[in-house]
Amino acid sequence: MSTKELRERIELLQGTLDLLILRTLLLGPAHGHAIAKAIEFKSDDVLQVEQGSLYPALHRLIKRRWISVQEGTSENNRRAKFYRLTARGRRQLEVETSKWDKLAGAIARILRPAEQGGES
Amino acid sequence: MSRRKRMMEDLDQDIRDHLERETEDNIERGMSPEEAHYAALRKFGNVTRIKEETREVWSFVWLEQLLQDVRFGLRMLRKSPGFTLVAVITLALGIGANTAIFSMVNSVLLRPLAYREAQQLYLVREIIPELSQTYPTLPANLPNFRVWQRECHSFDEVAIVTSLDMTLTGHGESEQVAGGLASANLFDVLGIVPQLGRTFLPQEDTPGKDHAVMLTNSFWRDRFQGDPKMLGRSITLDGKPFQVVGILPASFRFPKGAQFGALTEFHPRTDYFKPLGLDPKQFSPLGEFDYAAIARLKPGTSAAQALAELNVIQARIAKEAKQGVGLRAEIIPLESEVVGPTRRGLLLLLGGVGAVLLIVCLNLANLLLVRVPARVREAGIRTALGASRARLARQLLTESALLAILGGVFGIGLAYFGLHWLVAVAPPNLPRLDEVHVDARVLWFTVLLTMLTGILFGALPAWRVAHAEPQQALKAGAVTITEGRPARRLRESLIGFEVGVGILLLIVAGLLTTSMFHLLGVDKGFTAEHALVVDVSLPPQSYTKPEQKEESYNNVLARVRALPGVSYAGWISRPPLEGQEQVDAINVPGRSTKDLQAPIANYRYMSPGYFQSMGIALRQGRLIEQVDRDRHVAVISESIAKNVWPGENPLGKQFHPGSDDRPLMQVIGVVADIRTVALDEPPLLMVYLPARMASQNYASLVVRSTIVPASLGAAVRGAIRSVDSGVPIRHLRPMTEIVSESVGVRRFQMGLASLFAIFALLLAALGIYGVVGYSVARRRQELGIRMALGAQGSDLRNLVLLQGMSPVVVGWAAGVIAALAAGGLIRGLLFGVSAQDPLTIAGVTFVVLVTVALACYIPARRAMKVDPMVALRYE
Repeated sequence: MSTKELRERIELLQGTLDLLILRTLLLGPAHGHAIAKAIEFKSDDVLQVEQGSLYPALHRLIKRRWISVQEGTSENNRRAKFYRLTARGRRQLEVETSKWDKLAGAIARILRPAEQGGES
Repeated sequence: MSRRKRMMEDLDQDIRDHLERETEDNIERGMSPEEAHYAALRKFGNVTRIKEETREVWSFVWLEQLLQDVRFGLRMLRKSPGFTLVAVITLALGIGANTAIFSMVNSVLLRPLAYREAQQLYLVREIIPELSQTYPTLPANLPNFRVWQRECHSFDEVAIVTSLDMTLTGHGESEQVAGGLASANLFDVLGIVPQLGRTFLPQEDTPGKDHAVMLTNSFWRDRFQGDPKMLGRSITLDGKPFQVVGILPASFRFPKGAQFGALTEFHPRTDYFKPLGLDPKQFSPLGEFDYAAIARLKPGTSAAQALAELNVIQARIAKEAKQGVGLRAEIIPLESEVVGPTRRGLLLLLGGVGAVLLIVCLNLANLLLVRVPARVREAGIRTALGASRARLARQLLTESALLAILGGVFGIGLAYFGLHWLVAVAPPNLPRLDEVHVDARVLWFTVLLTMLTGILFGALPAWRVAHAEPQQALKAGAVTITEGRPARRLRESLIGFEVGVGILLLIVAGLLTTSMFHLLGVDKGFTAEHALVVDVSLPPQSYTKPEQKEESYNNVLARVRALPGVSYAGWISRPPLEGQEQVDAINVPGRSTKDLQAPIANYRYMSPGYFQSMGIALRQGRLIEQVDRDRHVAVISESIAKNVWPGENPLGKQFHPGSDDRPLMQVIGVVADIRTVALDEPPLLMVYLPARMASQNYASLVVRSTIVPASLGAAVRGAIRSVDSGVPIRHLRPMTEIVSESVGVRRFQMGLASLFAIFALLLAALGIYGVVGYSVARRRQELGIRMALGAQGSDLRNLVLLQGMSPVVVGWAAGVIAALAAGGLIRGLLFGVSAQDPLTIAGVTFVVLVTVALACYIPARRAMKVDPMVALRYE
């Protein structure tokens, strides 16, 4: 894989990845690896996130105070950092979700105008 | 910052945890521990880059990266001191020269004149259509000015001014001082507020009430030590008292020479102004066009409207004058008149110096491109370690920006000295020279130029490095990376471009130089060599009668002629190339032509000996001799003979110098035409009269010597002083100096253009030398193989020469074509040479080819000496 493709994909995922993280954390605090796994699992592995790119995104969200971070212990008693949705993050998730819905809907309508009636 | 540090430490921990978990997951799925670890790493992505991106979240990234880039860049520059030195020196010279020239352009062309709302100021000139062949426009005259003042509603106000020399006495040695005779409202029109005192009052324009003067700041400081008590005191000018009513501010600027229009000559330095004190009724509406008229346009009125209104007034004046001639007017923005023809020359220089900087940039781009292969390896490693392409490009651009900034800083320093030097060597008649300085606009220009320069020479190499394939670079390993054909093409086209720009500059400089030679070689009509010119003025208060002046003039002649080394001496009212004076009609009795339709000539008063001392050849008849001093005889120039008495013998013919009431003059001789105003202007009609010499207070003594004229200076000065120590000597200089000064602006342009062109040529040669030299070094193996296969050393040399010269030939052709096409732009600056002069182009081609061939030959010789064994051993 050449560097160029990789870069394009990261750009494509920017913002969207933030949304996925926020959505995942809505279910409760989680550590980084768990978030990555959850996104992969829930999207049936369609969204192959380069796991590392999760971390810049997490830090971005912390900086915006949409999530917070805490020390904690994981299922097998290992120390780990847990990321938790803040109240601001919850509000932001709603905003982002509705924005996403609008965008997805609009793109769908543009791409498949003929099947508009059949879909739903 | 500490939060960021904590967050980053946490991140390390987090990533380790993450990888451990992923590895464990993988082991659960049945991978070997090692396999599991690598799979986890692959899935995670580039750890360094991830950390970098996360760090960016927590920092003023750009600032931090910039600092990093700057540190790294400085390290790189230190590592190659030779390159850095060449780059900084050439950049400093390029940027410095641009800054200095731009300072001049800024001060002379861009900054408004130092008058209030200078864009509203216009020069009003009069046109007599019947005269427009010889004098397209004329200065204004007094009665017409009064009419405009009353009737022209497009003007807020109009003022007039002309030069007026007087002798200052009562303050030590008597001194000739140069002033302006101005209408009382001149300073209101210009919007100048005096530093002390007041400007003139309207009533001071009337005869008898005009005994007031305003002093310029420099005169007040130099002559009266800036004493504020001078205000209200009287000074003695031409033996009469004048009250000092005002002191002008130091910022006040007044033009010199003919900057307020042709036929109005001002001194290089104006000392005072005096109100008109003249009665317009004493002047004819169609004579004595002596004044520069400056009008302030009413806001909202266009120049065209004003002109239309003015022309209606002019037509009426002409009709009422019943002279059978028309009268029109022209209005010219004052600024463009002051700057005049200097504009084109300065813009040419700005273009030239810009081209030099362009060549500097091309050269550096080339030198950087040579280093691209090495940088590609470095870039490949950094990409593999997680650097993004944009980051790499930024890093390289930072390096070139650093070079540019270093060049810019030294450049400003150079510009500072360069500007002083420029002002010092610039001809004194360059307009607004005293206003030249570095201001904020110049500094901004330099900052912008520096940035632009950095981008210009850095962009291409940065782009090439950033877009090189890192894998390939790494694969190549220790083996020298070969340069591809496209890369060579690119560098060759840069060379071609450089040579093209250089040729263009050289052709322009060559044409200017050729013009200069033509100009100096033109038949001047007089012989400047071995002639000394001494300007004196007899103080009017001690020389009230013509006999006194006559006696003094004669005594000086007698003493000077007796000096050893002097072959001739004579007086003239105004020497050649010092402007026009006493312009009047040649009025031949019996011809029905009115005053203003008659041919117009410059009248000069002279003593016997003048023609011999100025080296003006006699063509017909005889010269003026001592016996002619009181006779009504004249010597005329050849053009008059041809124009006024075509096909006739002019000797013995008669004419009135001006109007009918003047005594008739009889032609006794014809002398050669002389270049009267400038070497590049055709000769004017000249009439030489002996009769009124004695009426002159100002005159120039011309001395022809058998020795170097300057060495006679002290002796001549002594001779004049021995006749009357109270006579001020204004100037004493060889005629060659007057000639040289008259072409000063051209010499200045030519000198700078040549300097830039030579610099450009050297830069191009340096660039070519670098590129060819590099290609020889890089092709050692290839050349070695060729040699091993039987190629002669000379074959290799010719191969290298051919390849080195081919872009030069292309560039040469492009440069010559560009020069031919752009010829029209410089035609106005040339003299006696076509803009497409084949000789100049051939000469420049020769110089360039020799220089470039040399630049190629030195490295090419090295190709000859390649030892095949040594070269091949590298494999």
